[in-house]
Amino acid sequence: MSSASSSRLSIAQARSPQAADCAPAGGVRDAVYFDSGENKLFGWFRPPPASLASNIGLVICKPYGYEALCSHRSLRAFEETASALGMPTLQFDYLGTGDSAEIDAQADQLTAWTQDVIAAVSELRRRTGIQQVCLLGVRLGALLAVLAASECAAVTSLILISPIVSGQRYVRSLRTARLAAASMAGGHVEATDGDDSIESSGFLISAATLAALTKTDLKTRAPPTVSDALVIDGNALPGASEWTKQLSACGIQARYLALPGLIEMIMTAPQYAQIPHEMIAATRDWLRQFLNGSATRGARRLEAVSPTSAPAMILRTGGDQPVLLTERPVSFGPEKILLGIVTEPRQGEIRRRAVVLLNAGADYHIGVNRMHVTLAREWASRGYVALRMDLAGLGDSGTRSGQQDNEVFPAAALDDIRAAVELLRSSYGAIDITLFGLCSGAYHALRAAAAGVPVNRILMVNPQNYFWKEGMTLDDLQLAEVVHNPRLYPRRLLSGVAWKRLLGGKVNVLRIAKIYFYRPLLALESSLRDMARGLRIRLPNDLGWELEEIYRRGVRIVFVFASGEPGIDLLKLEGGSSVKRLGDYFRIHIVEGGDHVFSQSGPRAIMKKIVSDELFARS
Amino acid sequence: MSVRSIVVTQFEQVAVEQHRALARLSDELRLLDSGLDSLSFALIVARLEDALGFDPFDVADDVKFPVTFGDFVRLYDNHK
Repeated sequence: MSSASSSRLSIAQARSPQAADCAPAGGVRDAVYFDSGENKLFGWFRPPPASLASNIGLVICKPYGYEALCSHRSLRAFEETASALGMPTLQFDYLGTGDSAEIDAQADQLTAWTQDVIAAVSELRRRTGIQQVCLLGVRLGALLAVLAASECAAVTSLILISPIVSGQRYVRSLRTARLAAASMAGGHVEATDGDDSIESSGFLISAATLAALTKTDLKTRAPPTVSDALVIDGNALPGASEWTKQLSACGIQARYLALPGLIEMIMTAPQYAQIPHEMIAATRDWLRQFLNGSATRGARRLEAVSPTSAPAMILRTGGDQPVLLTERPVSFGPEKILLGIVTEPRQGEIRRRAVVLLNAGADYHIGVNRMHVTLAREWASRGYVALRMDLAGLGDSGTRSGQQDNEVFPAAALDDIRAAVELLRSSYGAIDITLFGLCSGAYHALRAAAAGVPVNRILMVNPQNYFWKEGMTLDDLQLAEVVHNPRLYPRRLLSGVAWKRLLGGKVNVLRIAKIYFYRPLLALESSLRDMARGLRIRLPNDLGWELEEIYRRGVRIVFVFASGEPGIDLLKLEGGSSVKRLGDYFRIHIVEGGDHVFSQSGPRAIMKKIVSDELFARS
Repeated sequence: MSVRSIVVTQFEQVAVEQHRALARLSDELRLLDSGLDSLSFALIVARLEDALGFDPFDVADDVKFPVTFGDFVRLYDNHK
């Protein structure tokens, strides 16, 4: 008997404004857990309106790692597009990714995830009674879709976005990124668990997976047993046109397109990621034609699945002394637009402590390197209720009416954090609450504490700014940049090439001039602020004053920085003499060898130990 | 078009796509100071494979990532 569960966890699925021209109103989107073998996977199920119900469903196979982080919103737009055409959809996380259960670090992910795709197909069919499934896969997800289609007769069509045709080439690109990352970190190449696995942008690929990938080449495999396929390459990185011709030669109705938008969707920083409108429009047109050709609309009525309780997953952690945790999605906030995943400790935990993990940049609630998931589960196993959440407009939360989505510093972030704290107090009885965040998450934690949100601890990792004015954009001058590059910009300003670029209009001279002159101004400002503080005069945007105020309320303040992070100097400059005056409740830790997002496992493990130790330090 | 020009074009294109401020490209420029990150370099190498037909990192032996831009160009020049 399947133990899959669902709920009416409809996160007021306001779509991103960018998706508005691609799909009509969002509709219900249910968080679900379902079985893949003995494991639990997390997913989002979207039943279509009964009047449009199609007999063909869509399962979305995500890319892996950093690409999955970047494409999170875009995949939702693909999902909405299919739903608008009457297709039930299921988007899910492979084992060991996203919000699903953990995977054995040595496992062959390629094999396990292919089985996960097949399990997702079964789950969608079970929930809806549909007979046929189209798989939409992106990058590695497209490769998995092809592998799954070969094993699963219910899969009759494929939509493949920039498919990995050669596993060997994919592995090479991962190794190159790894090599470059190691070089950027000063040539320090880190072994991963002493085997041949690699970590790319903080995401592990096991040795078994690498071996399996290296042997996988779609051009030399038997074609999948599907009738129709749409293959969309990024026009900046085409690689699947020859293979698509092979599919056609085998009798598959295969269409090939090379369109813009791939790099912007999955190969950029998540805060810059854009929904690939042309790819989505092409997908919609192809699906519409395919569905009409299949004449399946209304062929089968959807079976209702009655949600009996909120979905939840029981996790076993702890190795020799296993601890059972419960994990479940929650929607909260006045408009119920906020989405979080709560990990609860074992039953009977009497210490009522909770931690909120805030978005890092525009990464959704799993965090960079999926760090929020592993931290939440570790902390819950030691007694904390852990809530990893998306601020409004980010990740799986809805977007407030009239607001932009994908904003790293949304104006209402404080309201969202207050709502999270209130949820933990009222629904989980928490009396000791910590805020944790990296980069912009650290900024929001600080702002919340400064605004008097009732918390006991703020754990801040690599903040790059301590103030943010509404109306600023990420492209505006960052003080961190001033602090970080005091010599680089004047040098550039004096170079002949720079002048040529300047005259060609390719350089923002005002920006460089500001950077050049800001540093001494900052130092002067810091001294003046110290004087004012000494005279008990509060100046606006005074970080030192704020830190002292937070400290006096008994809030433990912890900063953790990777060495070389610009936020360190900025903290010294903006915090001034206050930083030295604060006592035991104020801690600064520096981790050698880390980068901004702690993408390497060694420094990341050190950072995680520091924040865990601080979380469990006696108050 | 020389290998160097192709490499320069890819550096510039990827920098724009990745919203990164590219430093002036000279032989002495350390890639660490170029303004690009590891993802950018992975993209550049993939694009150069499409443009030039080979990937100098595709070797069985341990290959080191170039330190300077000049090293990077030479790696491709020598592989031709």
